[in-house]
Amino acid sequence: MAWTWFHRLASPPHVYRLAERLTPWFAWSSALLILAGLYGGLVLAPPDYQQGEGFRIIYVHAPSAWMSLMVYTVMAVAAAVGLIWRMKVAHAVAASCAPVGASFTLAALVTGSLWGRPMWGTYWEWDPRLTSELILLFLYLGYMGLRSATEDVQRADRASAVLAVVGVVNVPIIHYSVLWWNSLHQAPSVMKLDKPSMPLDMLVPLLLMLLGFTLYFVAILLMRLRGEVLSRERNASWVKEALSR
Amino acid sequence: MMEFLEMGGYARYVWPSYALTFAVVILNVVWARRALARSREQARRRLAMQEEPT
Repeated sequence: MAWTWFHRLASPPHVYRLAERLTPWFAWSSALLILAGLYGGLVLAPPDYQQGEGFRIIYVHAPSAWMSLMVYTVMAVAAAVGLIWRMKVAHAVAASCAPVGASFTLAALVTGSLWGRPMWGTYWEWDPRLTSELILLFLYLGYMGLRSATEDVQRADRASAVLAVVGVVNVPIIHYSVLWWNSLHQAPSVMKLDKPSMPLDMLVPLLLMLLGFTLYFVAILLMRLRGEVLSRERNASWVKEALSR
Repeated sequence: MMEFLEMGGYARYVWPSYALTFAVVILNVVWARRALARSREQARRRLAMQEEPT
């Protein structure tokens, strides 16, 4: 009984319909949260006592960096499930993640660079945090390159899944890099066990942005997933039904 | 309003960061829609080929 949900999640027609139905809910709630977060971050939050108005880059930099890591983790877990249980839908999830993760990793790197210039005096430094985040971008690009170089979808699924799973070691390295090594980058101020080191009027907009971007990712993932699921189906009668809508 | 846009002298770092991030947000919507449309079109073509009498 407890496993019926798992089996249903493995069923392409069920996933396709579910994704179709859920997308607008995630899309609209994420839009509301992001708008509220933007207003709070740009207008309501007070300037930082050290960085002045410059700290407001956090409201786009931290969500982008969060996306880069969260999306990779989802991709690696989905790839592992696909490898272990030979589940097509899980591979489709993994394949859907990569372009989203890659683009937000780039956003995290560039917004970080724009933040580093006035605060650290440099756009780039071969610092543990920055370097490991750059490696994350290369992992995403390698994953996508491997997929597009492999004609057969099933072989692409398996080969790219191995890469995704192996690459996941980089995720904790990125997160803990600022604690393990001397880094220019500040230590976590929200994603830690202790209570966040930020006043509430700065913190709440950041949490709204983080949640908003997460729901936004789900919406994008569901949309991409439908395409990936369709492209893995041959001779399925439900495809005709799905296309009629 | 001008004061807001100036961002305490950090305008040239703050606004490009916001612009880039939201460009990525919007591009991902466009890419996802395009990918879905492409897969639907390919599936439609496959179905049409299967239904053609041989």
